[in-house]
Amino acid sequence: MQDRSAPISTGAANLLFAAPAMLLFATFVLLPLGASVYYAFTFWDGFSAPRWAGLANFIRALTDTTFLMSFVHVVLYIAATLVFEVTFGLVMAVLLNSDRRGFSLMRGMFFAPVVLSMSAAGVLWKFVLDYRTGLLNSTLRSVGLGDWAQPWLAQPETALLFICIVSGWKYAGFYMVIFFAALRRIPRNLYEAARLDGANGVQQFTAITLPMLKQNVIVCILLAVTGGFAGFDLFFTMTNGQPFGATEVPATWIIKQAFDQNQIGYGVALTVVLTLVVSLISIGYLKISERGNVTRY
Amino acid sequence: MAKKFTLATKRLAPTTRGLALTAATAVLLLTTAAMAQTEVRFTHSITGGSSRAALDAIIADFEAANPDIKIKEIVFDDDQYSNQGLITQLKSNEVPDIFFEWAGYPVQRDVAAGYAYDLSEAMAADGWKDSFSPAVWTDGAGTMVDGKPYLVPLSLDLTNTIWYNKKIFAEHNLTPPKTWDEFVALTKTLADAGETPIVEGNNEFWPLGNWAGHIAAMVVPPDEYVAAFKQEAKFDTPAFEKALNLLVDLHNVGAFNKDMQALGADPAMATFFQEGAVMHPIGSWLVSETGNLADEGFEYGQFNTPTIDPAHPLANSVIGTITGLVVHKNAPHAAEAIKFLKFLTSEPSQVKWAESGQMSPVQGVSDKAKLDEQTEAMLALMSSASAIVPPPDNKYPVPVAEAFYQAAAFAASGEKNAKDALVWLDETLAAMGKQ
Repeated sequence: MQDRSAPISTGAANLLFAAPAMLLFATFVLLPLGASVYYAFTFWDGFSAPRWAGLANFIRALTDTTFLMSFVHVVLYIAATLVFEVTFGLVMAVLLNSDRRGFSLMRGMFFAPVVLSMSAAGVLWKFVLDYRTGLLNSTLRSVGLGDWAQPWLAQPETALLFICIVSGWKYAGFYMVIFFAALRRIPRNLYEAARLDGANGVQQFTAITLPMLKQNVIVCILLAVTGGFAGFDLFFTMTNGQPFGATEVPATWIIKQAFDQNQIGYGVALTVVLTLVVSLISIGYLKISERGNVTRY
Repeated sequence: MAKKFTLATKRLAPTTRGLALTAATAVLLLTTAAMAQTEVRFTHSITGGSSRAALDAIIADFEAANPDIKIKEIVFDDDQYSNQGLITQLKSNEVPDIFFEWAGYPVQRDVAAGYAYDLSEAMAADGWKDSFSPAVWTDGAGTMVDGKPYLVPLSLDLTNTIWYNKKIFAEHNLTPPKTWDEFVALTKTLADAGETPIVEGNNEFWPLGNWAGHIAAMVVPPDEYVAAFKQEAKFDTPAFEKALNLLVDLHNVGAFNKDMQALGADPAMATFFQEGAVMHPIGSWLVSETGNLADEGFEYGQFNTPTIDPAHPLANSVIGTITGLVVHKNAPHAAEAIKFLKFLTSEPSQVKWAESGQMSPVQGVSDKAKLDEQTEAMLALMSSASAIVPPPDNKYPVPVAEAFYQAAAFAASGEKNAKDALVWLDETLAAMGKQ
């Protein structure tokens, strides 16, 4: 019988087997990463040769109010996604967790927006929210509420809110499916026992469903947070950071700096900052969530 | 698979076998011809409208006259082209032989980076250079660097003029204004009548920004204007404040569409053609989109930004630039590329180009082409102008121009007053550092 406590051999032959994977990793991950870090320390317009900039790009990033505010916007967006996507997805999963006729169709309909590309969804909703000819304002005007018609995506106070709503419409179904699959794994007898003990629906949800879904909730929150920081396509297609940076998120601002304004060195520096922020948040969140999972005896 | 093919061949009737042989020979000949062709890669951003149709027709003529050369067009949407499309191609291993470019700063940048081919020798041959209007080879035209030509001029672009709906003007007994005060009064009349006086698609800042650049050039002393854009002086001056206050005045009379900052440039143009607004400040390229976007019988005209300060040296200027084509310094087929460009800028080709709504830089073409009424009016406007002001993003570093454009948008939308917008602009440029 094999001794499981024996250390795994690390001889040269084993390294040879790992070499192709390591080579690919170095070529497609480490090398671009290293190059990116280098370009972050340069003034580079993408056309001419890069010039060494030292820390100038990073110092500029710390005084770039639009970039700093983009983190505020993304945090607000993430907070909204936790409500509109994760929470709403959970509620829908619980409400639609039934084998009764029509429920699978409703789950399918609720999930349908997930299969649309984010860019297509953004363009679609931009038409719906158009000030002059959009469905929303046309409806308001047709029912005599023309004064309520607003340029929803051109006002700082409503633009971000509508992006969050559209994001919720798009992704709540995704989280619903995750929660729905987990709900199906919860033994029915737990609910039967709770009902015998006199627990109502809300009590069953808080005492059984939520604790049993804890791991899924943690994963969904992590997905929402990291996905939020990487958010680009919906912001780009719906508002492109407008009006006046009110919906600017790090990714849209980075694209503008790097490509619209030909400041690739600065854009890469902003990307490095964003990567550090997201990495720190992810590591911190995973540490906290792992600590919560330790079973103490 | 091979065995099945053999069996099937054996069963073919003699006539069918003859046809198959003929087809195979034809394919072989075509393949051989294709292999002998030189492919000239030509990248640009002319995606549609009558100008694209004219360009395709000229290319077809060229290929018919030169069967050994094939022009391969690589086309991007305008914004995509200037943001990522061109740079990606210039950096690639397979560079385009010819690329579209704007005169001025972009050409200087291309030359400095080693992407542009010195056309001095080619231009000197066959009187090519002399076939163009002398104005395109002046220092300020931006087609040359250190006295050497790098850009083959293709169009004279009026970067901004104010297009208006003739029918709605007539309904309100309005005529194109001569002065800025008349313009504001006219705008107020339209707004009070429930019209949207001006539609602007400023989602990307440059449409209003270009216009604001012209307004500022007509108000601010020229030295002060240049120094500010070169980051040698501040923008927060009484003259720039006066310029932005003109936009504030327009905002205050309800001139602009409410969704200005959410609307793109193309949807704004469509709104104008759909009679959703009375006026639309944008460039000469609107003309080539008329066929696609306007209904039959849509009547429109244009007027230049009205005089603001008659004593200003640029009071009667227009804002415009030259667009054209650059041969890549490392073009695999530079000789063929130049041959094509000579064909493209020859008089017969340019007549077609001009008739598609473009203002040709080639001498004599305007007289020979059957020009659209709008193109003729724009040519008249350009020829009567005292000076041509280049748009800031073609003359100065793009980040500086973009920051100015945003400050202008702040003022035009009422988001900030003129003074605060300029303070914001100077602070933004200070944080940005010298570009």
